[in-house]
Amino acid sequence: MALNRRTLLKTGAALTAASMAPSIVRAESPHWRVAASLPMTGPFATAGQLVAPAFSEFEQQVNDNGGIGGRPIRIEVEDSGYIPRNALANFQRAQAGGDLHFYYGDSTGFMELVGPTLTGDNAVMMGSTSFASALSDPANRPYQFMAGPTYEDQFEILLRDIADKGGKTVAFVYSDTEFGRDPIEHGRRVAEELGIEVVLEEVTRAEGADIENHVTKLAQANPEYTILQGYVTGVWPQLIGGARAFGLTTQFMGTFWGMEKIIADRVTEQAGPFLDGYQGVMPYRYFYDQEDAPFYRELGEFKRSVNPGFSGYVTAWELEGRLCLELWKLCMERVIEADKEVTPDNLMAELGAIRNWDSGGFFGEPVNVVNNKIGQGRVYRYDAESRLYNPVSDWIQV
Amino acid sequence: MITGHFKTDYSADEGIWSNWPKRWGLVAALIGLAIFPFMASNYALLLAGQIGIFIVAVTGLNVLIGYTGLMSLGHGAFFAVGAYTTVAIHHEWPLTFPLITLVISTVVAAAFGVLFGLPSLRVKGLYLAVATLSANFIILFLIEQDWLAEWTGGVRGTETPNAVFFGIELVSQQAKYFFIMPVMVLMLLFAQNLFRTRFGRALIAIRDKDYSAEILGIALFSYKLKSFAISAAYCGAAGSLWAYFFPAILPEDFGLNMSITLVVCLVAGGMGRTLGPIFGTILILLVPEMLKVVAAAITGGDATSQTWVSPTRDILFGLMIIGFLIFEPMGLVNIWDRFWRFMSRWPFAK
Repeated sequence: MALNRRTLLKTGAALTAASMAPSIVRAESPHWRVAASLPMTGPFATAGQLVAPAFSEFEQQVNDNGGIGGRPIRIEVEDSGYIPRNALANFQRAQAGGDLHFYYGDSTGFMELVGPTLTGDNAVMMGSTSFASALSDPANRPYQFMAGPTYEDQFEILLRDIADKGGKTVAFVYSDTEFGRDPIEHGRRVAEELGIEVVLEEVTRAEGADIENHVTKLAQANPEYTILQGYVTGVWPQLIGGARAFGLTTQFMGTFWGMEKIIADRVTEQAGPFLDGYQGVMPYRYFYDQEDAPFYRELGEFKRSVNPGFSGYVTAWELEGRLCLELWKLCMERVIEADKEVTPDNLMAELGAIRNWDSGGFFGEPVNVVNNKIGQGRVYRYDAESRLYNPVSDWIQV
Repeated sequence: MITGHFKTDYSADEGIWSNWPKRWGLVAALIGLAIFPFMASNYALLLAGQIGIFIVAVTGLNVLIGYTGLMSLGHGAFFAVGAYTTVAIHHEWPLTFPLITLVISTVVAAAFGVLFGLPSLRVKGLYLAVATLSANFIILFLIEQDWLAEWTGGVRGTETPNAVFFGIELVSQQAKYFFIMPVMVLMLLFAQNLFRTRFGRALIAIRDKDYSAEILGIALFSYKLKSFAISAAYCGAAGSLWAYFFPAILPEDFGLNMSITLVVCLVAGGMGRTLGPIFGTILILLVPEMLKVVAAAITGGDATSQTWVSPTRDILFGLMIIGFLIFEPMGLVNIWDRFWRFMSRWPFAK
């Protein structure tokens, strides 16, 4: 078809009409529709780009196996640039496209922004990248859930592990962001209960922190353990590297977003083995730990079948997205099996009823969904020589 | 066909709606705005609401940059002041009438505008732009402080109130649209009329040659501060509408990124014209969304495709802006002018 002025105008008019048309005039989709906002551009583009394939692979895998209840699924992914209002626009555009059965959000900011709008016909079951404690609130956020423990839970797991090992002093170093501050208050309370003294609380910028100043304060406080919160990769080389160069022996620890192996490997490759011994809480097994994880083995085989160049490793970030999708699928299957209507309320009711679920290896123990979260995790330790995170605690329930 | 504008007195010369295309254009635009929400999805209303709010803010920036010739990269902060003032007022007095909140938020933002406009007495151009940058950091720093968190929510942000008019709570986006659009229209009319007054002409004189204006008897300091106050007030009003429109606000919604977006909207639309902010805002906010719609139509929203489509789309948008600035540096409003000049002479001349 030749592209002339008339064609262009017609196409423009059609697109405008499509974007403006109320959802009521759209035909019901022959698929189970899933949509997602991922940060394909912007500050967290690395994470978004790594997570994205999980969605197309999930779609292919489910559809190859006959869909859900005999109906195929369709996943639409859109970039948010990690801007909550962009993600909200993506969500509402997805909703305008007709029946939407699940949505995956890209940030705490988006989940906070969209939460109050999820009522009546606008309600949709929703998972996300966020482990913000505020989202574990079925009374006020009945349609949002997280595929793991909250940041508060993760802090608690770390503090319990410190207490178990006889630790007496800890420092909290966190970024001046919502992400950074989330578990701090809870951390103070738990530390007090466990008899651990919080000898330093240091707030930094999320990136480009004033490292010398922070390291000096750490040296003065001299904590046995230092928990980092609210960073993805930003402060590892500077803060941990700086502390080691300063001769500090404090044991650094982190939470989920600071526990990705490929980032630790990259830092080790570029800046040396100073991350050796770094510990943190991880809700899921690492992908290389497949002995008791049949799901991981199956996923690995599938990935190899569709991508012969598959490295053999799946990031924890991708696993988190995949687990959200698996939980939705589980709820869908249970709702359909119970011959109920597929509604957000029924899906969330099934989610809340999950008890002793064998996740196929994501988690070490069967899990329960309580308050729209799964409170389980384990402490891992990075070994710079083998470039692996190895478990140093049992699976801890919170 | 328009063959000319024959004005026989000063009032005709000052008239805003000086010919029938303008008059009927305005009527058509108002009718379009009124019926739009009845045909639109929530998504379209979300975009329309954002565009309406941004038009108010960019119109305010136009008062400062376009009409007074003073540069600012800090107006995103005044936007934040308006939004957080609205939230704080409803926190203390939940039943405050929304228009009262809107006015108070506007006044508070104006006060901040005056404060951060003080450097304009001594510096201008890029130096003033750098001086106003500080507003982004200082105001957001204050908003994030724990001692203000009861009213601002701190770094975690806060949920926002719904506007309630005589017992009717504006919950849906459609209802909120009917709050935003009249405010936008009134503020546009105010801006349009402002520059038909002695005060407005004084601002234009300052823009064109400030020392000449001073020789003519215009008190530069006072007028520059008033210009800052008015432009910040517009951003404050936009912030207040933003707080009513979105269910939650976060500090990161505002600040430098928003300040730059406001300037980009103004430059793309055309400075020193009331239509400039409208065109610029529509272009800057709508085109990325339209590109998303087109990309999604082509790829079907496939996740793997999105890994390269999304960055490519951003690059395309960036190139479009660069090309636009090269080929139409006077902004969209200049294209609009050329179009109407062409129409008024067609078919006798181009």
